[in-house]
Amino acid sequence: MNTTIDTFPALQRRDWKELASGFLIRHIMVVVMLLIVAFFAYRSARFATPDNLTNILIAAAPFALIALGQTLVILTGGIDLSVGSVMAASAMAAAWTAKNAGDSPMLPLVAAVVTGLLAGSINGLIVSKFEVPPFITTLGMLTLASGIAYVIGNGAPINGLPASFGSFANTQILGLTLPVILMIIAILSLAFVMKRTNYGLRVYAIGGNRLAAEIAGVRSRNILFSVYAISGVLAGLSGLMLASRVITGAPNLGQGYELDAIAAVVIGGASLMGGRGTVWGTAIGLLLIQTINNGLDLLLVPAYWQNVIKGVIIVAAVGVDVWAARRGRR
Amino acid sequence: MSTVQSDDRGPVVPMLECSGITMSFGGIPVLKGITFTLEPGTVTALAGENGAGKSTLMKIASGQYRPDGGQVQVRGQHLPSGNAQAAYSLGVAIVPQELASIPEMMVYENLFIGRELKNGIGILDRRAMIKAAKGYLEEFGLETDPKSRMKALPVGVRQIIEIIKATHRGARVLLLDEPTSAIAEREVARLAGIVRSLRDQGVAILFTTHKMEEIRAMADRVLVLRDGNLVSDTPLAEITDDGIVTAMIGRELDQLFPDRPDAGTKSVLEVDSLVIAPGAEPVSFTVKSGEILGLAGLVGAGRTELIECIYGIRKPVSGTVRVAGTMLKPGAPLSSIARNLAIVPEDRKGAGAVLSMSVLDNATLPRIAAFSKFGVLSGRQRRDAIGTVMKSMRLKSNGLDQHLDNLSGGNQQKVVFGRWLTGPVDALLLDEPTRGVDVGARSEIYRIITELSSAGMAVVMASSDMPEILSLSHRAFVMRELGVVGELDRAQLDSPTVQDTIFRLASGQNAAPVKDTTP
Repeated sequence: MNTTIDTFPALQRRDWKELASGFLIRHIMVVVMLLIVAFFAYRSARFATPDNLTNILIAAAPFALIALGQTLVILTGGIDLSVGSVMAASAMAAAWTAKNAGDSPMLPLVAAVVTGLLAGSINGLIVSKFEVPPFITTLGMLTLASGIAYVIGNGAPINGLPASFGSFANTQILGLTLPVILMIIAILSLAFVMKRTNYGLRVYAIGGNRLAAEIAGVRSRNILFSVYAISGVLAGLSGLMLASRVITGAPNLGQGYELDAIAAVVIGGASLMGGRGTVWGTAIGLLLIQTINNGLDLLLVPAYWQNVIKGVIIVAAVGVDVWAARRGRR
Repeated sequence: MSTVQSDDRGPVVPMLECSGITMSFGGIPVLKGITFTLEPGTVTALAGENGAGKSTLMKIASGQYRPDGGQVQVRGQHLPSGNAQAAYSLGVAIVPQELASIPEMMVYENLFIGRELKNGIGILDRRAMIKAAKGYLEEFGLETDPKSRMKALPVGVRQIIEIIKATHRGARVLLLDEPTSAIAEREVARLAGIVRSLRDQGVAILFTTHKMEEIRAMADRVLVLRDGNLVSDTPLAEITDDGIVTAMIGRELDQLFPDRPDAGTKSVLEVDSLVIAPGAEPVSFTVKSGEILGLAGLVGAGRTELIECIYGIRKPVSGTVRVAGTMLKPGAPLSSIARNLAIVPEDRKGAGAVLSMSVLDNATLPRIAAFSKFGVLSGRQRRDAIGTVMKSMRLKSNGLDQHLDNLSGGNQQKVVFGRWLTGPVDALLLDEPTRGVDVGARSEIYRIITELSSAGMAVVMASSDMPEILSLSHRAFVMRELGVVGELDRAQLDSPTVQDTIFRLASGQNAAPVKDTTP
């Protein structure tokens, strides 16, 4: 029997027009995304080809992992500025391991994950236990991890790595590379975790109102620690993906990625105050940014102009979202 | 039908005129065609239950919200809809429930913000502003130093400063949203004096309130909103208190407080030598099943701190708490929840509810383990359990997925209350359970408290509302300076001089105090 909620009073009938416009407003980013796709498809014959769409996915994968980690952090009301540097440090640690520990694809993977976990855990500990503002904590880690990356390579990239180092990024399963598969798995599983598990609900709760969540029995310090640790691990994996694709460890890899990740999360409708946002929103946000990158490349727009255009689109997209949210709330 | 009255002053142009105002949020109509006028030199009370649309109407009248239909006129001029700036320049000012003052700035800076005094070369003339501010403050009977920081002042004083700010910028219509909800009784009297003197200067004042005494003390006329309709618009002299209450809740309120069944004999909540803060007297007591223990005292006496120590939001200096014989881990809410202890905190928005989450998710939080397997939330089971409880709480919402920030205060409180009732509760801690809750919802909350206690719960209830303490408790403590200074049994609570006794204990004026009372 369906005994749930239909019996609540004060529920008013809404006509279909309102529902339809409500749907459009709630999914405004999807609409924006479709418009941008349509524009590029119209302007460039190469845009809407299977090869190019695969390229977009491949470019999106490392970026997706850090954007997902960033989503969790932002949902708690924090921010992780260190992910770009942590990518670099993890990539360098993995490359160093590959160079010195022989021809195994597993050891570099372990090195990258451990480096990311370590950096994320330090962030998490300082934020949760010592209550240093996340902005400051992760700004410090940004500098520190970048320094570590250069220390590992003695200031230079690590080249001449064994071919197995490339297997992580270049292995294909069912026509998709490993990073793309990992991205899809990460999005699906994190979407499930955030929507349907205790953990997800608690993350939303401490982001929405930390004191109220603690009173309701949420151990907010553990949760806070965990989101930074997860963000670190994902940054580690992401750094390895990038390094593996070119079979080189570069200490300046991932630079500035944190800002694109934050942009993706915010375009996805998350509030930097915490408590609001979704994994699906972030997925749309990052695909939007990657599509723009790719489309502008195809249209042969010069790199510096690409940044100008991207900046405008990011602010405009969020502006549209804020406008839609205001209309939706009315 | 509102008629423009003319006393002996001839016909009067209404200060503010709302006609046919309609408004809905997310498809739910909140105001259904409201028409009224405010005349100069009058004080009008806007009464109604939580969720009746009072705050929304205030925001429309002050230009913060754009109504879906209808219009607002200020002194005969059309107010461009949804334009707060225009309302302001037409002389309409609002003092919101949550004050909009800037806590880090000084009093005079707050008073002059946006229209600072400058000297000849455009530099801020602080000396002139301080001098003028002092004059304003004195005019309103405040001896506050204009150079004190806003955040260092009591809420009641900050509120008067907000009123000064509004009126000295030439506001002719003053809207006060729940002006007395956060201030002490003594401050209410001062506020009433100020409202009257502004009225005599010809300002039109509209204020919202839940409390009958304040309507009687301040208003000339009372408007009653119910479910988005203006159900009564009457000069105060022509309506009785019962008439107002009936109009607000749409039925006769036969009895605010339900009967109080006898307490049981089993000890449920045992507090032993709990020291709330360094230097405080240890507190020990036992609450039996079915017993309601009231905690009375002035603001800052330590009632909230005691409740927080028992529950574990705050770590006590020493002492233990047992629920049904099992000792709680100090400072660990999770262990308290596991021992079937529940709390309804004083600050609903700050500590009770996560406003950005749905009813369903809020109600899931404290009992999350019961609604999940291996960390994965159940779908149907939790929806059913929570739906049943919220129905018994008579929650008014747009389904369980509605976010709390779209619910009225009374309904938010029902969620904060009801979320515990999906599982067993042995002891219940209530801190100001009816603060900011209107008469109708209030009697429902009293009914729920009494039902829960008669079903065997031990209840501790801190309250500043004297009738609440006197009518619901089996026993009451009076607190002062973080300790218990008096205990009153049922016979004493029924004595005609009890209010006086409680006040003496709470303020430390008792004839035979054990404690040193140097302030």
